[in-house]
Amino acid sequence: MNKSLSVLNNHPHIWRARDQRQSETKFSLGFPRLDKALNGGVASTGLVRISSLTGMGELSLFKQVICQHRTHKLVVFINPPGILQSPWLENLGLKAQQVLVVKPGSEQESLWAAEQCLKSTACHCVVLWSNAVNQKEARRLQVAATHNDALCLLYTPPQQQASQLGYPKANLSDSQATPSNQSDSALPITLDIALKGKPHALAVNIRKQRHGWPEDNIVISHRWTPDNQAIKWAMAHNTLSDQALHSVS
Amino acid sequence: MGHGTQHAFRSGITLCELMMLWAYIYCYQLTLDSHINAAKTNHAHRQTLKSDRRTPPRSEANGISSSLPSNTPVAVYCSKTNKITQCNDIAKKEGIEIGHGLAQAAALCPYVHILPFSEEAEKHMLTQLAHRLYPLASDIVLDNHIHSNSVNGLAVRLDNLTHYYGGHTPLWKTLTQALAEADIRYHFASAWTIEAAKVLALHKLNTYLHTPDDIKKALSACPLSITALSPKVIDSLARVGVSCVHQLLAMPVQELGRRFDNNTIMYLTALRGETFPRVTLFRPLEHFDNFILLPFDIENTQHLTPFVTQQFEHLSHYLRARNLYTSSISVHIHFREAPVMDINIHSALPQSSVKSWLPLFSLKTENLELPEPATAITLTCQQFEEIDSQNGDFFSDRFNDIAQKQLIGRLNAKLGDNSTFQPRAADSHQFEYMTVTESSAGNCTGNYAYSSDITPTFTFDVPKPLIQATQICFGPVRLHSEWWHDSPTKRDYFIAQTEQCVRLLVFKDEESRWWVQGLFC
Repeated sequence: MNKSLSVLNNHPHIWRARDQRQSETKFSLGFPRLDKALNGGVASTGLVRISSLTGMGELSLFKQVICQHRTHKLVVFINPPGILQSPWLENLGLKAQQVLVVKPGSEQESLWAAEQCLKSTACHCVVLWSNAVNQKEARRLQVAATHNDALCLLYTPPQQQASQLGYPKANLSDSQATPSNQSDSALPITLDIALKGKPHALAVNIRKQRHGWPEDNIVISHRWTPDNQAIKWAMAHNTLSDQALHSVS
Repeated sequence: MGHGTQHAFRSGITLCELMMLWAYIYCYQLTLDSHINAAKTNHAHRQTLKSDRRTPPRSEANGISSSLPSNTPVAVYCSKTNKITQCNDIAKKEGIEIGHGLAQAAALCPYVHILPFSEEAEKHMLTQLAHRLYPLASDIVLDNHIHSNSVNGLAVRLDNLTHYYGGHTPLWKTLTQALAEADIRYHFASAWTIEAAKVLALHKLNTYLHTPDDIKKALSACPLSITALSPKVIDSLARVGVSCVHQLLAMPVQELGRRFDNNTIMYLTALRGETFPRVTLFRPLEHFDNFILLPFDIENTQHLTPFVTQQFEHLSHYLRARNLYTSSISVHIHFREAPVMDINIHSALPQSSVKSWLPLFSLKTENLELPEPATAITLTCQQFEEIDSQNGDFFSDRFNDIAQKQLIGRLNAKLGDNSTFQPRAADSHQFEYMTVTESSAGNCTGNYAYSSDITPTFTFDVPKPLIQATQICFGPVRLHSEWWHDSPTKRDYFIAQTEQCVRLLVFKDEESRWWVQGLFC
């Protein structure tokens, strides 16, 4: 018994918390607290799931990862939730010829397209929007990404998180849905994070990461979109009276 | 006799199972295409110069006088046969047709721009096209002026490639994409032999066929006049009532043997797909040699820069794909009368990029005077140096270009032609028209990309009414539509945040209604 356990213990894929930091390549996100919690950043290959509402800065968070590495390769957007705007890409730091948008007809087609992109060796990063990914599909994407030196960012809506935490599902008649959602927390992927918005900040919950501990509520303050701070500041520091402002000499 | 028919029958069976498949790409206006491309390059270069460096007006005036506006009628004239061989759409509109003489063309349209036809130049261009396709397809046959006059084409063997590309559609999509990048007009067809495919391509079939029945049906409809049969043979066939390929295909072999000489029989059996004549396959050169015909005569070495840049780009692609560097190149400038001028450029360090070679070229030619206006340039490179394997970065993107093309071809094959695109910046300040999503954004110049820091990541197809509580964090920015639009709009744009901290691009229209147009991700 002991012997067989020790054999198992030698398996290189078993990670122990006491192990030293792995020597895999990481891409820094550029936010010190988050990078520290992730042991240096996002792994350079594999599948990363981000559960978030659309429009909270979930793409801007990965700006450095998307723009600063393997710049000769494509960044593919599969099934995006709207029309991707080229000036925004330019502001982010992506060249137009480096970007490819794929509009598949169905969920299955978008998963197929993602796998093809990862396997093609022409892609640096595949950004995929999908509502539900089961264990088998996640495993396929993870293997395709790690074997071909590519990264896959999977954006899913936050509902999945709620069902996992044990909230009763509204529609229980669908018996198939429940087991797939339960196994959902155990997706064989590199990193699983959830995002929550705060005014001018973003709270990151690391739900699961390979070779590391989960950590909750890492707050990142950002200014990814312009704001009216300058005007507010000017109004607050205005020492002139109204009359002086409008006076005509 | 019985033996003969049996043989024919057996070969018919093998055709169905293991049919060879060749595609024939008939490039009917190479000289004209290369002229248009070169003019486009020059135009684009001028645009970047204008925006980057503010070229002094003097040289700009020069540029306009030497380059043609895009609406000029252009025709290619072959002096040997005294015929117009190629002409663009504008020339066609003026009434010029292929086959007209020079005098007739000039009478129809006095200001037509005539380009001289040169077999040598066309052969160069065809070879360049073959070089472009060679990384994608191994068996390529150059077909120029062998059988008949003024037919230029490439034959590509497909049946042995389908296995690697995973089917006919991805393979053909990959090839057509490479052809589209070369920006060449062509007619194409596919059939069991080069001869049959060529007849179909000359018939302007432009369909990809791969089943014997389809090919037979298409071939039957072709007239005899476009086959490579000599006029004498066509005449004698007409005398016995054979006027189209359909009847030829139906004729038994021994019947043919009685009438015609060996060459004709060889050709006819090849057309029927019963024999496969030996062909010389295209092999790429061991050194780099790129020829470009200038769209207009150039007197000043500075005006050569855009064309030389284009050639350096070809060179850098060539070197990258082969994992090589070079430390010496030569540029040959061709003139009408004067002997070719050779400019050899050496670099201390072996290099491959456009960025490193172009300054060396401009330094070398700064004080150079051309004896007469230049008509063409060639870039050659004979000596290469291997890169030591220490440089890992180089290896990682060696096959990237081909992999990208294959990927796009594959995706389009399965998901449909309009499923992939690259977003391009368009010439508008309005959020609806800022990005062009067509896969081939041909009509968009892309020179004056409008950039703004309040562009959202995504916009919706149509604005949706704003129905949730939001807080404004930035704005207003007032945008009017361009005056030439039918329904002018005036909108005040804001960036607003919902309670869940989703940032939206919202606007208030003239009637004070609120709409959501996009998202900031």
